[in-house]
Amino acid sequence: MRKAQHVKSTRFTLLAGAAATAILLAGCGGGTSVTANQAGTSAPDGKGDVKGDIQVSWWGGDSRNQKTNAVIDMFTGKNAGVTVDRQSADFAKYFDKLNVQAASKNLPCVVQLQGRQINDYTKRNVLLPLDGMVDSGAIDISDIPKAVVDAGRGTDGKLYFLPYGAAYDAVGVNTTLADQAGVGLPADGYNWSDFTQYLTTAQAKLPEGVTAANIGGGRPNYFIGWTQANGKTLFDKDGKLGFSKDDLKQYWAMWDDLRQKGVTISAQKSAEEPTAPDQSYLAHGESMTDTLPGNALTPATKTLTGAKPGQEMTTIPFPSGPKGSGNALYPSGFAISANCNNIPTAAAFVNFFTNDLEAGKSFASDNGAATNTKVLDAQLADPALSATKKHELELYKQIIAKNPPTIVFPAGYQSVFEDSFKRAYQEVSYGRMSIDQAVDKFFTEANAKLGQ
Amino acid sequence: MTTTTLPKAPLQIYPRRKTTNPVLAAVIRHALIICALVIMLYPVIWMVSASFRPENEIFNGLGLFSPNFTLDNYVNGWTSGSLNFSRYFLNSFLVTVLSIAGNLLACSVTAYAFARLSFPGKKFLFALLLGTMLLPSQVTLVPQYILFNKLEWINTYLPLVVPHWFGVDAFFIFLMVQFIRSLPRELDESARLDGCGHFRIFSRIIMPLAMPAIGTTAMFTFINTWNDFLGPLLYLNRTDLWTVPLGLNSFLDATGESSYGALFAMSVLSLAPIVGFFIVSQRLLLEGVATTGLK
Repeated sequence: MRKAQHVKSTRFTLLAGAAATAILLAGCGGGTSVTANQAGTSAPDGKGDVKGDIQVSWWGGDSRNQKTNAVIDMFTGKNAGVTVDRQSADFAKYFDKLNVQAASKNLPCVVQLQGRQINDYTKRNVLLPLDGMVDSGAIDISDIPKAVVDAGRGTDGKLYFLPYGAAYDAVGVNTTLADQAGVGLPADGYNWSDFTQYLTTAQAKLPEGVTAANIGGGRPNYFIGWTQANGKTLFDKDGKLGFSKDDLKQYWAMWDDLRQKGVTISAQKSAEEPTAPDQSYLAHGESMTDTLPGNALTPATKTLTGAKPGQEMTTIPFPSGPKGSGNALYPSGFAISANCNNIPTAAAFVNFFTNDLEAGKSFASDNGAATNTKVLDAQLADPALSATKKHELELYKQIIAKNPPTIVFPAGYQSVFEDSFKRAYQEVSYGRMSIDQAVDKFFTEANAKLGQ
Repeated sequence: MTTTTLPKAPLQIYPRRKTTNPVLAAVIRHALIICALVIMLYPVIWMVSASFRPENEIFNGLGLFSPNFTLDNYVNGWTSGSLNFSRYFLNSFLVTVLSIAGNLLACSVTAYAFARLSFPGKKFLFALLLGTMLLPSQVTLVPQYILFNKLEWINTYLPLVVPHWFGVDAFFIFLMVQFIRSLPRELDESARLDGCGHFRIFSRIIMPLAMPAIGTTAMFTFINTWNDFLGPLLYLNRTDLWTVPLGLNSFLDATGESSYGALFAMSVLSLAPIVGFFIVSQRLLLEGVATTGLK
């Protein structure tokens, strides 16, 4: 339902005039508004004059903000007459703000999103499909691997965001502990049964208070990796769960067996774990392995050297299976909002951020490995690249070489699937439900809300 | 034990007579209160001590002391990267002071009208006012955003401050109405006999007597505005307009590197004005709590 909405930017002079303080404060603010016209055509080609004002919003802390700002400065430097209103907040808060803006049809022109949420927005028609802009050449995707570009597609198959940085999940391994336990790293191309065997063997020789794995059954990311490696479908075409109850029962039985043998941390301890990946038990040297976002290796290593001086960690790919690699990609990229009134500039910015060599080098793959292969190679060739960052980017290259699966996440994935999954396994790990009951509970909860 | 002073006394745990030694009683009482205080304040104490530890030792447990005492978190946090806390504190103060001024003026005038004047529809309007307290703020969030956006007030402090000048905080109006109602009407009447109009009665009689309610309103407005995160998050995009909570949030990055040391250091500093304001207005506040029944 796309309504051609024409929002007039009239001032409500009556109200504004009534407030004497309003004028006083307007002096120190220089107010702006994100009013915009709805695009006339459904698939704009993004061609036109690159000038005027756009708004760009992204998630991140101060260090990411500085890097993003540097790229925006390069963009405005190259395009005289363009001004950029910048908005940022930390991940969770960012989406609070975005949802208010989306609900009031005032999204910033350029919005950073991931595949995990994209369909929450495409379902509500607040984003523009980028296909027309790709066809017209306003946005170039020739240097980005197909598997990565496809991660930017919505459930309707149209491209909604252009991935600039690809995050992936890896298995983080504390190499110092693994060597102490005499197991080293799992062999290349290891599968899930090798992995559980590896964990069980290691546990026998680990020091008191350290477990071989974190509580893996409640980690949606591990499960996604398992489904991909075993050729299961995660979501069907309606956005409902695509795997069977037996699949999940089998998967949870595997983890719960490990938990009962003491190979994973206890349910109680898991409930106390901080959520940030760089503060996890893995980062504190209390767990030998855990799933870790590939780009969290650098901060997690930093924490580990403080918590357990002398220990080191690395990341390896997820276990494989009959259907190949289990490493799904989670790219982040910029989308263009449907209420944007400066589409040519927005398209030029999205293209610049993703494809410009200098911009990419300056951003330094801060939010996942650069998807543009030329940018990625340029970064890898840079001798100043830190060892952990280099490892992160090289692992990405390994994963992408194996043609990883692309997952289209239905609307409601982040708010429904992840929470329900963790909660249901928690019922199992606390012994309050049998695995069968928990699987039923999860299927009922997830299927009720997914895809809507 | 071979001696019992009272042969017929049944088994008793508590001494029969109250101890007469006032020092002992005071010591025991204070020891208990201090224990309770330490338990309640421990998270804050922990935060203060964490702010003096090196970055990678912060989450090393519940202990307070580290051999590596450092002030780096404060030095680096104050102007870290593109952040500038001198600016954020100034902005926060500006928003807070203007909000308090607006709230005090608008709420007290409205409360006076409801408590002392009689006009048609008063009961209905008062019920309406109380009704707005039942409305969750989330409900009005989006319409408010649309309104302020159309007024082109994004990137100004207007959306954060102007509503306070129109008496939108029904709770504080209610608080003051209840307080003013408890003041004897005879005072108004004698002032009226002496020739005072409403303005004089309001400013010379009611306001000085309502100081506890005013102090309570000021204090709570201060805390609410100082800690407000969602409002500034929605309306302030430019970093030079940011308030302290937005600055604190940008130390965190769930998808990259967080600087917890600087976060804790600046959090400690951001608490200082609240503690200071509380100490200054403590007497008024306690009186306010006692006389208005607010908890």
